[in-house]
Amino acid sequence: MFRKILRSIFQLPLTFLQELGNISRMFLQVTYLSFRRPFKLDYIFKQMEFIGVRSMLVVVITGTFTGMVLALQSSYGFRKFGAEGLVGAIVALSMTRELGPVLTSLMVTGRAGSSMAAELGTMRVTEQIDALTVMALNPVKYLIVPRVVASFLMLPVLTIISDLLGIVGGYIIGVKLLGINEGAFINKIEKTLDLPDIYNGLVKAAVFGIILSVISCYKGYYTRGGAEGVGRATTEAVVLSSVTILISDYVLTSIMF
Amino acid sequence: MEERAIHIVDLHKSFRDQKVLDGINLEVEKEKITVIIGKSGGGKSVLLKHMIGLLKPDSGEIWVNGTEITKLNDKKLNEVRKTFGMLFQEAALFDSMNVYENVSFPLREHRSMSEKEIERIVEERLKQVGLLAFKEKMPSELSGGMKKRVGLARALVCDPDIILFDEPTSALDPVISLTILDLIKETQSYIKKTYVVISHDILGMFRIADKVAMLSDGKIIEYGTPQEIRRSKHEITQEFLQATQIPGFTGGSHG
Amino acid sequence: MDRKKISSEVWVGVVVLIGILSLFYMSMRIGKFGTLHRQGYEIKVTLDNANGLDPRSPIQIAGVEVGKVSAIKLDGYKALILLRVKDGVKIPVDSKAAVKTQGVLGDKYIEIIPGVGQTYLAGGDRINDIITVPDFGEIFTQVNVAAKNFGDTMSEFKGIIGEQEKISIKKSIDNIQVVSGDFKNLVSANKNNITRIVTNMEAISKDIEAGKGTIGKLVKDDTLYNDAKDVVASLKNISGDIEQGKGTLGKLAKDETLYDEAKDAIGNIKELTDGMKKGEGTLGKLAKDDSLYKETEKAMKKIQKGAEGLQEMTPITILGTIFGTFF
Ligand SMILES: Nc1ncnc2c1ncn2[C@@H]1O[C@H](COP(=O)(O)OP(=O)(O)OP(=O)(O)O)[C@@H](O)[C@H]1O
Ligand SMILES: [Mg+2]
Repeated sequence: MFRKILRSIFQLPLTFLQELGNISRMFLQVTYLSFRRPFKLDYIFKQMEFIGVRSMLVVVITGTFTGMVLALQSSYGFRKFGAEGLVGAIVALSMTRELGPVLTSLMVTGRAGSSMAAELGTMRVTEQIDALTVMALNPVKYLIVPRVVASFLMLPVLTIISDLLGIVGGYIIGVKLLGINEGAFINKIEKTLDLPDIYNGLVKAAVFGIILSVISCYKGYYTRGGAEGVGRATTEAVVLSSVTILISDYVLTSIMF
Repeated sequence: MEERAIHIVDLHKSFRDQKVLDGINLEVEKEKITVIIGKSGGGKSVLLKHMIGLLKPDSGEIWVNGTEITKLNDKKLNEVRKTFGMLFQEAALFDSMNVYENVSFPLREHRSMSEKEIERIVEERLKQVGLLAFKEKMPSELSGGMKKRVGLARALVCDPDIILFDEPTSALDPVISLTILDLIKETQSYIKKTYVVISHDILGMFRIADKVAMLSDGKIIEYGTPQEIRRSKHEITQEFLQATQIPGFTGGSHG
Repeated sequence: MDRKKISSEVWVGVVVLIGILSLFYMSMRIGKFGTLHRQGYEIKVTLDNANGLDPRSPIQIAGVEVGKVSAIKLDGYKALILLRVKDGVKIPVDSKAAVKTQGVLGDKYIEIIPGVGQTYLAGGDRINDIITVPDFGEIFTQVNVAAKNFGDTMSEFKGIIGEQEKISIKKSIDNIQVVSGDFKNLVSANKNNITRIVTNMEAISKDIEAGKGTIGKLVKDDTLYNDAKDVVASLKNISGDIEQGKGTLGKLAKDETLYDEAKDAIGNIKELTDGMKKGEGTLGKLAKDDSLYKETEKAMKKIQKGAEGLQEMTPITILGTIFGTFF
């Protein structure tokens, strides 16, 4: 009994480290293979369509409404200072530095990351991955690299769209609905927002893209145990990706800004 | 020239506590059809996966055309795999691709051929398995038996030296089953490649087999021509053969 | 199957194009000075303290942005600020520079007050004339102290020089005029006292009359307050002495110069008290010092304006605080 408890206490960090090591290994492998021929461009484009184009709607909606609610909330607070002119700046800064990249990544995790895990998980349990292997084709190269590269490329694109729409949403609420001085609203944005705010946000998004795709693919790739295993892998992929995104967001923010 | 395409020496494999392969010794002759029979869950698929390096043994050696493959790195192993084709028990078609794309996939990845040539070969294979009309269908729109046949076409399409079939006729009706067996026999005698076939379908298998191996309790307990196996006094083999005999019906054993 | 007609490349292209356009648009809107790095010319300013200034802090002339701080370095133990000024903005050699604050809590920026000279600064030149503007925080505390001092002084004066004392003083003066007695005794007994009183009184009344009254002076004028208090206390003593009639007043009258001096001093005090009486209790009028009064008023107005300005200013500090609470 005592030994059992002791073992499980030691087992937990061990499993964690193992998982961390496996994911890092997967990341390195993907990185290496990304620069090796053959470049499966059509695979990458297919994934870019899946991740980028099909996620557009959800990103558009979240971006716009985030900006809107941000304007609503911050104007409530700023009115107490009599500083409503700052609402635009707050929306712009929050969107570009933080909410744009993070919310976009979380939405893509939910939409595309989950289906990466489910798809690869299904391919694993139906031996499609083995089929690739016996054809002397590297499944990581064919299945994971395109997804990771596509995420890496599309996340910044989705994020900048979300950034802009968030600001537009904030503008609609702030200026059109709450009647904040339009000149102040826009001028404060232009004055406060710096290019590094935007670019660093996009760098974040690209990193999140790698994180969510590597983790989701890893979880799917090593699925065990039939349909149930696929379901478990999908859940784990989403949870682990989201948590890792939020943690690494803190790390990245403290490094970059 | 070496007589043996695949030579397995004292192969052991366990999954956790479960011993699946317990000292397999087997020689698969070149340009012959070797049929492996055995109980369900006896480790036939596991044995087949070892031959192509999908599973690593706990101990033992696997020689393929004079190369020991259990300790090869991925790159060298892939060189060996390029000489293989494999039909999976559940077909394992890529469900993001339609039938045509599935069958043409190995060609596209390994041969630099014109689109025309690819089309010619693929359509010929699809015609052989009777599925040319379904080439635009997605795997999810096919029945189990149809998937099996597409998988067969995909395994054959590259004309590999060694092809591993995991139960090519299960899930097929007797008529299609026969055509598929004939197809396997025909292509083999025509192109002279090494085939390894797993089956429960004893009667069907005796039609096409050059050599039969009986797998039981993780060992090859018997190996020989179909006639030798049929005359075997071995208890387990007898039991196995008896079970497939239908009273008053001798099936295709004289075919 | 219809959507197959448009290949994934096209769709990806559309999204990427939207993304690039968004990025381009946003960069254009905010990147007005993003390209300034290589344009314009650079001039130098040396400050004692560059606290609050950042690279990219704005440079303004008459409230119009004309450039940005490009670098801040340590030069000896002073801060060397490099200012990159837009081409076409000519800055006379005799211009002055000041570090100012936008709003009460806001960003620091550099204001250049153009001179009137006809020669202009070229790249690498230096503005030597630095105006130090105390920031609002300092002003607040200074004004506070000053106002408190004023209040204290006034009530002290009021308390000490009541009707009783005025009468006493008047009586004393009358006495002095009438009585002539042994002045020598008075001198020998009170020599130190009197000399101190007289010099103090002179100094104080001169100071007050000269009315240097800047806020800084005012703060310094703790001494003034204390001295004035001393004077009055001493005066009280003397008049008490006189009233007790120690018979020394005759001597006082004999000494012409001392008498005159005393008279002058007392006259000054009288003037002061008169001024105080006339004044409606404002600080400035207490000291008969209009400029001091105006300065204080100005400072107060500034503070008020600053407080009002809070509504409009863009102090990053506020942003910072708010960000802190957001994230
Ligand atoms: N990946 C695996 N992990 C754990 N156990 C496995 C694995 N693959 C196979 N087994 C076990 O090995 C044994 C043999 O499985 P195998 O698939 O080789 O059977 P089989 O002979 O092909 O049976 P069938 O004729 O039904 O296909 C089974 O008991 C199975 O539980
Ligand atoms: Mg099997």
